[in-house]
Amino acid sequence: MLPLILRRLRDLVIVLILVATAIFFIVRIIPGDPAIAIAGDQATQAQIDALRQTLGLEAPLWLQYLQFLGGLAIGDFGTSTTFNSPALPIILASLPPTLVLALTATVLSVAVAVPLTVATALHPGGLLARVVNRTNAVAVAVPEFWIALILTLFFAVRLRLLPVSGYADPFSDPLGAIRFLALPVIVLMINQVAVFSLNLRESVIGEMLHLYLRTARAKGLRERVVLVRHVVPNAALPAMTVVGLNLGTLLGGVVVLETIFVIPGLGSLLNQAVGTRDYAIIQGVTIIVAAMFVLINFLVDLAYMFADPKVRVS
Amino acid sequence: MMDRIRSFARAHRELVVWMTVLVVILLVCVLGPAFSADAFAQDPLRRLLPPGPGGVLGTDAFGRDILARVLAAGRVSLSIAAIIALAASVVGSAIGMVSGYASAAGAVLMRAMDALMAFPGIVLSIALVTAIGPGEVSEVIALTVVFTPLIARVVRSRVLSLATRGYITAARSAGMAGWKILLVHILPNALPIILVQAVLVFAAALLLDGTLSFLGMGVQPPTPTWGNMIAEARPYLVIAPTFVIAPGVAIILAVVTLNALGNGIRDVVDPRARTLSNLIRVQRRHDTTMRGSRRSLATKGSLSRG
Repeated sequence: MLPLILRRLRDLVIVLILVATAIFFIVRIIPGDPAIAIAGDQATQAQIDALRQTLGLEAPLWLQYLQFLGGLAIGDFGTSTTFNSPALPIILASLPPTLVLALTATVLSVAVAVPLTVATALHPGGLLARVVNRTNAVAVAVPEFWIALILTLFFAVRLRLLPVSGYADPFSDPLGAIRFLALPVIVLMINQVAVFSLNLRESVIGEMLHLYLRTARAKGLRERVVLVRHVVPNAALPAMTVVGLNLGTLLGGVVVLETIFVIPGLGSLLNQAVGTRDYAIIQGVTIIVAAMFVLINFLVDLAYMFADPKVRVS
Repeated sequence: MMDRIRSFARAHRELVVWMTVLVVILLVCVLGPAFSADAFAQDPLRRLLPPGPGGVLGTDAFGRDILARVLAAGRVSLSIAAIIALAASVVGSAIGMVSGYASAAGAVLMRAMDALMAFPGIVLSIALVTAIGPGEVSEVIALTVVFTPLIARVVRSRVLSLATRGYITAARSAGMAGWKILLVHILPNALPIILVQAVLVFAAALLLDGTLSFLGMGVQPPTPTWGNMIAEARPYLVIAPTFVIAPGVAIILAVVTLNALGNGIRDVVDPRARTLSNLIRVQRRHDTTMRGSRRSLATKGSLSRG
C-alpha cells in the first residue's frame, strides 16, 4: 500500500513540474518581446529596459526556466503588472468564490445524479429512463454561457426571483449567498448531473454482468434491494473517479460563468488579466487551476485505493 | 454490396438517422447563405425586429438578418471545429501510435500529454490564445493542443493492445520496419476508434469554440460565429430574446447530433460499447417481464466470461 502511495506521489510531482513547464513555454511563445507587449505602445525605451530587467528576460532561457521553477517552489509566482504586487496573494484571494461554486455544484450534482440513475436502472425501458436519457444527451450539449443567459432572462429578469449577478460570502451572509449562487450552480449542475448520470449508468450496466447478482436474486432479494445494496456500491467506485476527472470541465465552466454572473473568483481575475495582458496573473491562475485539478484527482485516487479492497490488499 | 449497406442500415437505424441530420445541418449551413438574406447587410432602420415578415428570426442590433447570420456563423464555426478535429486526430494519432509502439519515447510523450490534460480546456485555450494573439489561426492552434491528448490517449491504449497480436510479432520477426508495421498493420486497425474520437472531438470543439468566441477570444466580428453572435446579442437579451436563442439552439443541435453520431459509430466498432448497448436493448425488451431480463442478463454474463 505505502509503495503504491509513494509512486502516486512521485507521479503527482512529475505532472506538476510538467504543468509548470508547459506554462513556461506557452507564455514564451509570444511573438516578439514580452516586455514591449506588456509595456504597451506608449512606453519609452528606458521603461521597456527596466521591465525586461524585472521580468528577468536578460538571462538565457534555461536560467529563466530554472528561476521560474525555483520561484514556484517557494510560492513566487512573479509580479502582477496591473496590481504592482506579488501575483500569488492576489490569486489566492480570488480562490474562495471559485471553490465555493465548484464544490456546491459537485455535491448537489452527485446528490441528484445518484438517485436519478438508480431509479432509471430499476426500469431501463420505463418512461423515466427514456426521459432522463434524452435529457442527458441534450444537457451535455448545452453551452454553459448560453443557458446562463437564458436562465437569467427567465428567473432574474422576467420572474424577478433571483439577482442577475453578484456574490455574497456564504460564511458571513448565507442567505444572500444562496440567492446569488442559485443560478450559477444550477447552470453548472445541468452539465454535471448529465455527465455523472451517464457514467454511473454505464457503470451500473457493466456491473449487471456479474454472476453474483444471480446468487442475490436466487436467494429471493427484490430487484430494488439487489440494485441498491449490491450493484450501486460496486458501480459507484469507478463512477467516483469521474467526479474527479470532470472537475477540469467544472472549473472551466466556473471560469466562464464568473464573468457572466460577476463573481469575484479566479475566472473573473483571469478574464481581467487577459484584458490588461497581466502575464503573471494569467500564468499563475492557469497553474493554480491545473494544480488543483491534479491534486484533487490524486486525492480521489487515494480514496479509491482505500475504498476498493482489490487495490487495498495488493 | 448494396445488400450489405441495406442490412447495415437496417441494423443501425439510429446511426443512419443521425448521419442524415448531420448532412442536413452541413448542407443548410453551406448552401443556406446563398438563398437567405445577406448576413452582412446592415440596415439601421430595421434594428432588433422581432421574428416576422422582416426576417424569420428577426434582425440584430445592426439590422442584419439573424437567420442569415446563424447560417453564415454555422459555416465558420463548423469548419473551424472540423479543422480542429482533423488536426487533433492526425497529431494525436501520430503521438498515440509512436508512444504505444516505442516504449521509451512513449513514456515521455504520454507524460507531456498528461500535463496538457491537467488544464481545463477553456483555461488552456485562453492562455494559448492570449500568448499567440486572438484570431482564428491561434484558436485552431489552441484547441488542437487542447484536444490532441484526448485522442493520443485513446489511440495509445488501442495500439498497446494491438501490439501484442500474433501478426505484429510475425511482421516484426520477418524484419518489417517499425514505421511500416505502424502504417500497414496498426493504423488500419486503429482507424475506427480514431474516427469515433474525431467525431466526439468535433462536438467538443464546437462547444469550446462557442465559449472562446463568446469571451471575445476566438474569431473576431464582423465574421459571425455562433459564440460571438451570443456575445453580441447579450446586451439585447431582454428586448430581443431570439437574437440570443437562435445561435444557442444551433450549437445544441449540432453538438447533440455529433455526439449521437460518435456514440453510434462507437457502438458499431467498439466491442465493449456494443456489449453494453446490446445489454441495454435486451433489458428494455424484457423490461415488462423482469424474469426474462434476468435470464438473458445471466446468459450474457457467462458468455462474456467464457
